Parts: sequence; structure tokens; C-alpha cells
Amino acid sequence: KPILLQGHERSITQIKYNREGDLLFSVAKDTVTNVWYSVNGERLGTYNGHTGAVWCVDVDWDTKNVLTGSADNSCRLWDCETGKQLALLETSSAVRTCGFDFSGNIIMFSTDKQMGYQCFLNYFDLRDPQQIEDNNPYLSVPCSESKITSAVWGPLGEFVIAGHESGEIKQFSAKSGEILKTAKEHTKQINDIQSSVDLTMVISASKDCTAKLFDSATLEHIKTFKTERPVNSSSISPIMDHVVMGGGQEAMEVTTTSTRIGKFEARFFHAAYEEEFGRVKGHFGPINCVSFHPDGKSYSSGGEDGYVRIHYFDPHYFDFELEA
Amino acid sequence: MQDTENMAAELEFEEDEPPFSDPEDFVDDIDDEDLTAQEQVLTVRFSCQLLEDVLRERPLEADGIDSVVVVDNVPQVGPERLEKLKNVIHKIFSKFGKITNEFYPEAAGTTKGYIFLEYASPNQALEAVKNADGYKLDKQHTFRINLFTDFDKYMNISDQWETPEKQPFKDFGNMRHWLEDPDCRDQYSVIYESGERTAIFSNDPKEPMLAEERSRWTETYVRWSPKGTYLATFHQRGIALWGGEKFKQIQRFSHQGVSLIDFSPCERYVVTFSPLMDTKEDPQAIIIWDILTGQKKRGFHCESSAHWPIFKWSQDGKFFARMTQDTLSIYETPSMGLLDKKSLKINGIKDFSWSPGDNIIAFWVPEDKDIPARVTLMQFPSRLEIRVRNLFNVVDCKLHWQRQGDYLCVKVDRTPRGTQGVVTNFEIFRMREKQVPVDVVEMKESIIAFAWEPNGSKFAVLHGESPRINASFYHVKSNGKIDLIKMFDKQQANSIFWSPQGQFLVLAGLRSMNGALAFVDTSDCTIMNFAEHYMASDVEWDPTGRYVVTSVSWWSHKVDNAYWLWTFQGRLLQKNNKDRFCQLLWRPCPPSLLGQEQIKAIKKDLKKYSKIFEQKDRLSQSKASKELVDKRRLMMEEYRRYRDNAIQLYNQQRDLRLQLRGGADTDELDSNVEDWEEETIEFFINEEIILLGDLE
Repeated sequence: KPILLQGHERSITQIKYNREGDLLFSVAKDTVTNVWYSVNGERLGTYNGHTGAVWCVDVDWDTKNVLTGSADNSCRLWDCETGKQLALLETSSAVRTCGFDFSGNIIMFSTDKQMGYQCFLNYFDLRDPQQIEDNNPYLSVPCSESKITSAVWGPLGEFVIAGHESGEIKQFSAKSGEILKTAKEHTKQINDIQSSVDLTMVISASKDCTAKLFDSATLEHIKTFKTERPVNSSSISPIMDHVVMGGGQEAMEVTTTSTRIGKFEARFFHAAYEEEFGRVKGHFGPINCVSFHPDGKSYSSGGEDGYVRIHYFDPHYFDFELEA
Repeated sequence: MQDTENMAAELEFEEDEPPFSDPEDFVDDIDDEDLTAQEQVLTVRFSCQLLEDVLRERPLEADGIDSVVVVDNVPQVGPERLEKLKNVIHKIFSKFGKITNEFYPEAAGTTKGYIFLEYASPNQALEAVKNADGYKLDKQHTFRINLFTDFDKYMNISDQWETPEKQPFKDFGNMRHWLEDPDCRDQYSVIYESGERTAIFSNDPKEPMLAEERSRWTETYVRWSPKGTYLATFHQRGIALWGGEKFKQIQRFSHQGVSLIDFSPCERYVVTFSPLMDTKEDPQAIIIWDILTGQKKRGFHCESSAHWPIFKWSQDGKFFARMTQDTLSIYETPSMGLLDKKSLKINGIKDFSWSPGDNIIAFWVPEDKDIPARVTLMQFPSRLEIRVRNLFNVVDCKLHWQRQGDYLCVKVDRTPRGTQGVVTNFEIFRMREKQVPVDVVEMKESIIAFAWEPNGSKFAVLHGESPRINASFYHVKSNGKIDLIKMFDKQQANSIFWSPQGQFLVLAGLRSMNGALAFVDTSDCTIMNFAEHYMASDVEWDPTGRYVVTSVSWWSHKVDNAYWLWTFQGRLLQKNNKDRFCQLLWRPCPPSLLGQEQIKAIKKDLKKYSKIFEQKDRLSQSKASKELVDKRRLMMEEYRRYRDNAIQLYNQQRDLRLQLRGGADTDELDSNVEDWEEETIEFFINEEIILLGDLE
């Protein structure tokens, strides 16, 4: 039986587990940032401050700081335990994606291409408080072509792997900002990129109805998982050769009201065989974000319906094998 | 150079032609020696080419006469109608070319009945002869056209007989090639990518096998001919027919803006309709073509295409008929003329339909003052009324023929005297019994759907109002009774699809009913399976009755466009997603060449044959699973190799990771247990209230 987290009034935009998996962070279009105990779904607290839809959230490896990016043109740093806002970095356009690097010392975030402003990828070093005070990133990389829609850090904090509206995936150096590698495999916008727990692989979810697995260091394309719906988010299992994908369409694209309750499903694929082996129903609208728990024994999904669902796997799941 | 000089000299003799040679005092100031060899060759070539072109156009001695045609059987009119006649002739014959001259010989005040027309070129005259000969202007006048020179030719036919030259045979290959598939796979056409791509697949339970695929093969949709020989595609300028092993283009019919077509059951003719092409004098909205020769046989007017096909064919293709206000017109092939040269006047005729088994038409007329409504069965060509049935207080009738023409069901909606509501009766005509007895089945609820069993004597009815829809199955027995075999209530269905071989059917709730499916075996009226194909818009049986395809067409629903393959028992075999899938049509089969006796013999020995087939199936199945298993093993090996490399790299970077996190080992979740803090948290689980009073 899934645990239902009701803490948002509008669609969920991202969910993130902390490294140890005991906390689950959720952000949504309702400007609210929540944090929950993943074991029972009890809400721990809220980070108050944003005045626009919150698009992204990340927590550092030590669960000390929380980073959020919002449509209110700001990226904010918070103290995880107290909820106090530690820093406010103003931007000229909405912050779409953000993250702490492996060490937790450097943060990156990307801004949208909006109202005449370009898309920028900004890097701040938290060990230098001056950068925060002056709102002066040590590196700001413009993206003149296709805007960045989702991004994660590489394994050792040397580069950021970014997915673009065009479907391309690029590695941006954290030292110089130059593009180290590019992968042109998707044909439509990348909706989400997530790393495996050991950061060796990344999985990209795209509007072109596929999710693809890449090697983080080389951006070599390893696997493709095909569906008939646009994929909004995907995640790699930490312990099994599985990936989970969630998708559907945005509410405005669905023209007929579906009389089927809970039709939107999370799909499970075998990572090596690229075959679907399971589905979980339950959301009342498209699934916007999925994430495996760091121990691989459960997963969570956040939907357009504003609910976050935590599912613990039954023993079947771990025994299941495709004939080979 | 010799030849050109001679020809140039010849030309000078033509009176009306301007001289082509240089004027006498022209001095060529380009010295030939100055031109390079190549330039010289080029000049020569150029002038030769010019001369060739010119010579082609030069008037030949017999030219004028080759462009003249003689048209016979023209109406003889007096001077007052001459102008109109000329206009009509002009309209009809201008289609083939520019009419440069016309002559209407007269005698005793009227035209003689034949005329001469001259075209601008002999080719146009030939076109006129080819296409207008046999044109029926009206009942009494069918044009006969000949080239003027032909008269000459026919007059001078030599006494010696010369064997006519053989035309090269246009070999389209084996037109029935698809039937020879050793595994008896039926074909079906699929249109997807919203019409951009059309493909033909052979149906295999494992996976569809692509036979042919083309981009922009059709501009709107496709149609198969009734026996499956041709695939018709639609284009702005007309339709094209394709067939044979490689789907070569067999024939092309030019009909601007064509939107609907219909084939004759014998596949000899095709009828095309275009809303664009219609003029008063020259009806072109509906055209009937001869498929084998490609000739246009006849054109017709058409007010509206609301009830296509306007022309209904008799089952053997000998007749086709259409209904207009108070009239039933029956035409015969191949002359395309009215049978007995006149239409049938039937006052108030509302609807008609041919029997699929014999040349019999059923039609009905509503009540007229004191005369009750009637359903009449009329045989053709004799026009004998085989049966007439009077009906009272009729609101509406619908005719449903059983596939073999064994039965006719007339669904009659009536308002019985003294009541307000409408009740429905089924009048069942038993066509194979003497004097065609009629039995009546009364239905208490409103009818949603009705369908006869092909090859059988049962019919299925969906009746009631949503959500209480019932499915009833009736058997028309030979002892004069019609029994209700079974009724299923609370069905989610709005359509009935019988297998073309009978016995099995699918009840489907299409479109608004979200694709609920029920697979029924009517031999004992059991539901073999309930299933669902969400938002299904169509259901199609294959011609053998083994498989059913349910599909979600992009034309009705913009998401999840796919077609699913089921067995006749309702077991799902395949789900085929196709980007913007639009339409799937099974290729029809021609009737079996086996006689009844042979079919009986095969059925008797079915056990023997089924053993062989089962073995084959087992082999192919295990082959498939073996293939899949091998594929998976390979994929896993590859993946493992990649992961091992990645993990190696990961292990090498361990020191770097420790550094970045200030010495904390975070590689595994339980890497640094010493740092863990144990916390006991109390959770509220349950509340139980026990009233002290109850304890006693």
C-alpha cells in the first residue's frame, strides 16, 4: 500500500531524497517546499520564502543545506534542520534546475530563457561568502542555443551534465564553463536528468517518449527505453538493474476527460533488456517526477495532481527475473 | 549536311511558309575557319535540331482531314433548337481538344442527324473517337464517332486478310500472389503518421510482417476491392489501383477531387464520386469505369453523397441501381444502359437494397392515404414481384439482408394506433422457402444495433438504453419458429461484429463506451472473454474469422493510437503502437475455390491436419523464445561488461571522493556506522475507544 503525501495544492515539480534516504523533499507550483520522513510520510517541515512556483530542489550530501530554485527569479539556500533561509540569490529569469556538487561546496543553477534574458548556467563556491553576498557567481556560462531544462553534477564535481530543450545533453566544465562533451540522441526536449547513486550513469527522460541511459564520464549512449507517452522523469535503481519512468501529458494537452480513475502509471523497465516488466497505477494525472529511495527498497512519485506517493516494494519485486 | 540542304530547298516551295533559308543578299560574316571545330559541330547540330522541330510542325498533305470526326446519331432538330444543340455538342466535344470547325448538314429544315467536327490536331480527333464513341446523349441518341479518314479506310479495305499485330502483354505478375502464402497469412493495410505512410503487413500471430510500405501512397485513405485483388488509393486528380506481388500500379482513373469510391462485387467496375465535377449537360459527379480496360463507361449526376454508395450493385455485378425521387433506376452492364430502357416509377420509395445472394431488390414505401406501407421483393431482370408485405402505422423501416441472402430482416418502427410511443418489430423474410413466409419478432425496447450471422441463421440485437443495454441472440429455425437463445443484460456495447465465418462475434462499446469488448461463442451463447481496448474506435475481423483487430484511430482520438490483435476467443496477441495510426483494413479473400464436398472432406480430416499445424506452431514458438532468450543474454553480457568498467573507474576514484567529503566514507549507505545516531521516534498508530459501560 502506498503512502500518500498531501502537502501541496498544485502540481509537484520535483522530489528528492537525501543521501541517506530518511528524508524526502518535495516542491511544487504552489510555492511550497516541504520535507517529509520517508519512513511513514510524516511532514517534518516547510521552507517558507518563495513567491513563485518552485521548480527544483536539492540537498547536500550531509543533509545540512537545502537549495531551491523558483519562478520568482531566485535561488535560495536554506538550513535543512531549522528551515532558516541562509542566502537569496536573485536572477533575471526563473531558475529551472539546481544542485550541490559531490562535496557540497559548490552549487549550480540554470536560469530560463525569458523576457529577453538568455539561459545561464551559474556556479557559486559556498566556501567564499563574498560570492553569495555580492550575488556574483565565479562562473556564469551563457547558453545561446537551446535552453537548459534539467541538469545534474558529474561524479567528482568537475562538470555538470545538462539536458536541453533541443534534446541534446552536454557536459559543462565547472572550472572553465566550456562544453566538454555532447550527446545528440533525443529528438525532443529533455524533461529530467537523474544520476545513478554512484554517479557513474545518468538517465534522461524526454518528450520524445523515450528515456536513455548514458555513461556520465563519456556521455556514451548505453540504453534506450521506449514508451508511447512523453516521459517526464526517470530514475535508476541503486540495487537492481531496473529503471522507473513516469510520464503522461500536461493537463492542457489532454482534450478528453478520462473517466478512468488513477490511470497514470509509473513504468518499470529492465535496464539491460530494455523491456517493460511492471506498472504501478495510482496518480490522477501525469507523473512529473519519480525517484528511487537510496536503498532501492522503495520509490516515490510526484504528480500533476499535487500528490506524492511513496511505494514500498513487496518481496516479489526483488525476486522477479526475466528469462535469460 | 547534304540532307539539310535538300530539305531547305523543299521548304522554299511551300507557298505560305516564310522562307527558311537566308535571304539572297545575306552575307555571312563569320568565317567558318574562325570557328573552332567544336563550335562548327555545334552550329551544325543546332541547325539540324531546329529544322527537325520545324519539319515536325509542317503541314502535311492529308492533315486537315485527319483532324475531322464524323458524329452520328445526333438529334435531328429544327432551326429553333439548333443553337442549343450546337452548345451541347460543343461542351461535350471540347473536352478532347480545340474545335476549329463544325458543320451541321441539313435537309428539309432539320439537321440530318450527323455532323462533322474539326479539331486543331489529329491527336485530339483520336481522343474524341476513343472517348465519346458510345456516349449516350439521351434515351434515343447514342453517339457514334469515327475519324473521317476511317471512312476512307473502311471503304478501301483490302480483300486480303492481314493478321492484326499482337499488343505487348502487360504482365502485372500474379494478382493473387498474397493468397499463396505458405503460412496462410492474411494481409492488411495500415495507414499511419496521420496519412503520411501506408503499409501492407502480413498477419502473423507473433509479429506483423511488413510486405510493402510507401510514403504518401494515398492522400486520404485506402480501399480494398471486394475480392482483395486491388488496393485503391486516393489522390487529388483521381484514384489509382495497385496490385500483384509488388503492388505495381495496375490502373489509374482521372476524376478531379474524387472523395468516395465503390467497387462492383465482380471487381469488373469501379464507381467514383467527386463533388467538384458536375455540369448540367455533362454529368461527371459519378463516373463508372471499366477496371480492366481503364475506360470511362458512363457519367452520372449526383445531388448529394449523403448515402454512399448511391449506386447499389447486384451480387453478380450484372445490374446496378439507384433511387431518386419516386423512381428506381436499374442499369445493366456492360452496356450501362437502363434495363428495358426505362426506370421504375415507385411513388414514395424510401429505401431499397439488393439481396447479397440473388438478383432481388427489396424496397419499401411508406403509408399513402389509405394504402398501408409496403415492403416489396422484386426479381430482376424479370421485374416479378415475388413478395409484398403490408405494414401498418409505420414510422420507419430498415432493411438488413443476411450475408448469403437467405433471410431479410426488415426492422419496422411503428406507432400502434392509440399509443404515443414507438415500438419495433423485426419482420423476418425466409427467402429460401416457398412463397417467402414472414415471421415477426416483437422487441420491447429501442434497438441500438442489429446484425445477421454470416453463413448462418442467427442474429444478434443490442437493445435498451444506456446504461441498461442488453444483448439478445435469436435463432431462425427451419420449423417456422424464431427462438430467443440467450440474453445478456447490462452490457457495455453499442456495436456488433460477427466473424465473417459465423458462430463467433464481438460486442464492442466503441468510442464513448471506452472500448469494452465481449467475445461470444453463439453456438452455446457463452461469453468467452471480457476485455478492453481503451478508447477503441474500430473493430475488424480478418476474412478467415481467426483474428480480430481493435484499434484506436488518430482520426477519432489523438492519443494512444494503436491496433491490437486478438484471437477469435478474445486472447490478446499483440499490441502494435503506430505513431498517429489512422486506419487498418483487412485484405478481403476471393470466395474459396473448393466445392462444398471438398470442404466437408477437409473438415472431417481436420484432426490429421491439425497435428501437422500444431507441430509447426510449437517449433516456431520455441524458436521465438529461444531467439528472445539469446538476445537477452547478449544484452546482459554487454551491460555487465560496461558496468564492470564503470565500477573499476569508480573504485579508482575512491580517494578523490574521500577528499571531497573531508574524509567521510559515503560510498555505501552503511559505510560509516559510527556516525549514526540512534533515535527513537514515537508514531501515533491507532486510537481505540472502549466505553467502560460495555465492559460489564
